[in-house]
Amino acid sequence: MKLDIIAEKVEDVILIKLVGNLDTNTAPEAEKEFNKWLQENAKKMIVNLGETKYVSSAGLRVFLATTKRMTANGAVVKFCSPNEVVKEILDISGFTTILDVKATMNEAMESL
Amino acid sequence: MEVIREQGKFRTRWDLIILALIIASILIVPFQFAISHKVTVLGLLIIYFIDLFFITDLFINSRTTFRIGGKESLDRSSLKRHYFRTRLGIDLLAALPLDAIFLIWPDLVISGIPVFLWLRLLRLLRIPHLFVILRRWQNHNWVNPGYLRIMKFLFTILILSHLIACSWYFSSYISGFPGDCWIVIEGIQYAETGTIYIRSLYWTITTMTTVGFGDITPHLNYEYIFTIISMILGASMYAFIIGNIASLVSNLDVQKASYWSKIDATNLYLRSRGVPIPLSERVRNYYEYRWHHHRGMEEELILNELPDPLRLEVMMQLTSDLLENVPLFKYSSSNLKNILLLALKAKTYDPDSMLARPGETAKEIFFISKGSVDIKDHTGQQTYATLSNGEYFGDISILLGEQRTAGACTTTFCEAFILDAEDFFCIKDEYPEFREVMKKMSSEKTEKTMQLMLDGVVL
Repeated sequence: MKLDIIAEKVEDVILIKLVGNLDTNTAPEAEKEFNKWLQENAKKMIVNLGETKYVSSAGLRVFLATTKRMTANGAVVKFCSPNEVVKEILDISGFTTILDVKATMNEAMESL
Repeated sequence: MEVIREQGKFRTRWDLIILALIIASILIVPFQFAISHKVTVLGLLIIYFIDLFFITDLFINSRTTFRIGGKESLDRSSLKRHYFRTRLGIDLLAALPLDAIFLIWPDLVISGIPVFLWLRLLRLLRIPHLFVILRRWQNHNWVNPGYLRIMKFLFTILILSHLIACSWYFSSYISGFPGDCWIVIEGIQYAETGTIYIRSLYWTITTMTTVGFGDITPHLNYEYIFTIISMILGASMYAFIIGNIASLVSNLDVQKASYWSKIDATNLYLRSRGVPIPLSERVRNYYEYRWHHHRGMEEELILNELPDPLRLEVMMQLTSDLLENVPLFKYSSSNLKNILLLALKAKTYDPDSMLARPGETAKEIFFISKGSVDIKDHTGQQTYATLSNGEYFGDISILLGEQRTAGACTTTFCEAFILDAEDFFCIKDEYPEFREVMKKMSSEKTEKTMQLMLDGVVL
């Protein structure tokens, strides 16, 4: 299944919506998108997982790498609205303690 | 007064004292009766001082708990009732100094022996108490039952040979030392009591052991009869006891013997199948490790026979030191701990064992409780990280249903708890708490495991 990446800039916040499956095939594409914004020196980013059906280990690696690089640049990245499946993966794999995951987009915006 | 637990410290210490005093009674009373026939003030004091302990023992016995069908009875009135019904009569006769009444008539004799010495023989009724104590100790866990059985046999030999030795001299004494009795022939009629006792004991032992040097022999009919009885009773008992002791000694550490014979058989098999020596040595080292750390026991096999609640309690005890190293248990409620304990399998791996291989789909999570594991790439050349006590792997591959991209190889002997994928999903679905526990546990993931993820390692 393919992954649609919808990115937009609202004021100084980059909103990235991942629609579909983030797996071994689609993770490089997502990584490319994140890197693009990193190179543009984005300081605030929200990754909307509301329509992300599944995240594989490759996807988790992309999240982890992006978070590390953003933090190293003094920037902030929030993840929001994961569905039950994705939330369980993030919880059990321990990623919710590394990634800043919010339940809704509003919460993510407010926390920036 | 509180009840006294039959396996408590007080009862055990008291039993030790009583055991020593029973042996003293068994040695002193027949000796005084059959050989010395004399009563000294010191001897009287010793005898009655010992009696004081046995009178106290009556009260202690009536408050000591006992077991019916494996259950310890703690009710005071039933303790008394049980003691009164079973042993009080004999213990009373054995403890009370009834002979003291006849001390004022020292000249009152039966067959040349003062009546008070005859009554003193009642103290031999203490002998069964000795076996009651040994039987009680057999239920204790602090002593190997094999040693107790050996002790029982040794006491039987000691008592039997002492009684026969005293009786052998007494048979001549009571018949008035006829001219051709063994004492007169040996010329020890007026010898020291010590000499008489040593000769009697010497004859007893040579007869019981069937050595029979023939230097002390029967000459009179009653001596022949006594010798025949001694041979039948003593020699057969001696042979029975020595045979049993030999068997018990050889079986004292039967577990160790059987374990090592299993190792020897395995080695023999491996050699006959042409398995290279280094590999055979690994097998032997593995068995040695298991012996030193687990006494060679497959705990699961033993525990499976127990009902679940009892098994859980035993497992908690057995694995307490290992569980301390597993964070999964740190955050679990007691209920979840029980579920996990029933699901987890404890395994021991020797060094260089591949616990996980690249390309396979994980079927279990490994929680390392002791030892260390290298995480290696698919070639086995590059080591990404080394996991040790308290760390775990396998969760990501199971959770995501992905193939492992790296392998895990032990570098030392390694103790691990294993949770099967099936149990993992089952517990996750049935116990919502489990997800929270995994989350808390994952929050302790080290930089090392995060780096593994960044390196694209799925385990």
